[in-house]
Amino acid sequence: MTTADFLTLIQTSALSHVISKSNHLLIAGFQVFHVMGFVLLLAALVLISLRLLGLILTQQTVPEVADQALRLVWSGLALAVGSGVLMFIGSPKHYFYNPAFEVKMVLLLAAILVQALLFRKVAHSEHPNPWLARASVALSLGFWFAVSMAGRAIGFV
Amino acid sequence: MTTIADIANAIEATPIGTAIAESRYAFPIIEGTHLIALSVSVGLIFLTDLRLMGLFLRQIPAASVIHGLRPYVLCGFALVFISGGLLFWAEAAEVIASPAWVFKFAFIGLAGLNAAYFEFVISRRPGALSPERAILPRGVKFAGLASLAIWTLVIICGRLIAYLPHWS
Repeated sequence: MTTADFLTLIQTSALSHVISKSNHLLIAGFQVFHVMGFVLLLAALVLISLRLLGLILTQQTVPEVADQALRLVWSGLALAVGSGVLMFIGSPKHYFYNPAFEVKMVLLLAAILVQALLFRKVAHSEHPNPWLARASVALSLGFWFAVSMAGRAIGFV
Repeated sequence: MTTIADIANAIEATPIGTAIAESRYAFPIIEGTHLIALSVSVGLIFLTDLRLMGLFLRQIPAASVIHGLRPYVLCGFALVFISGGLLFWAEAAEVIASPAWVFKFAFIGLAGLNAAYFEFVISRRPGALSPERAILPRGVKFAGLASLAIWTLVIICGRLIAYLPHWS
């Protein structure tokens, strides 16, 4: 099966029909959840980052601030990915062949890898190396900012 | 007679308004900046609200969370207003016709009043933000819930501007 066949399979599915043929406010609803998920993700990430940089809540240890916030990062991601997948199912070819979407997916993969392999570990350590902390913050925020920029660009390409 | 629509048209027709609207890159970049900046400002307010409600970072005094995050919330808001102002400049006539835009600004006003009431009345009640308390008084929790709800409505209306261009 080629990629095009696969996209056709999604596009002809019952779920895809329900999404694409319904009132356009259903898509608007997915968009709202997509944005809210991203807002939660980024806010929690910024909170952890500010603590890692020693700019806020220095009376508390890094894990005291980060443990709950990391869960919020993953919850926000789940909300954004869930609503994003539904939008994709609604019009798979429209998204798949959009260059901004392709860039966004590559950046998203990079952002998730940084989160899972680096940022999460640094945020769980009691006394992270300050330079490692700064590098994790820069990489992580950089990739997530880029993901959101690429996401906003989808509608303009 | 000059109507609001005429003023909006005039704003949009200025050289800067047209330049933003017609630029291939300016508009999406400003929109992206608006989204990132609101995630920082409104997003950090959401985290503060969750702390006031006793749902997040309960072991950290609420006052430390509020005061620690405040400068970043304000910086984020500065960027939100600048980017939002530029977007308005480029499409003033279109957005004022959208009910979602009108409601968005009404809710922003309400959020401001709610924040002012919290800052100047609720948080000054004796023991309102007492550092020994993980769970705060009912009035404080309610202020957090109100802020969370109003800012959520602002985001919903903002996202709906493109989907609800006219009143009918």
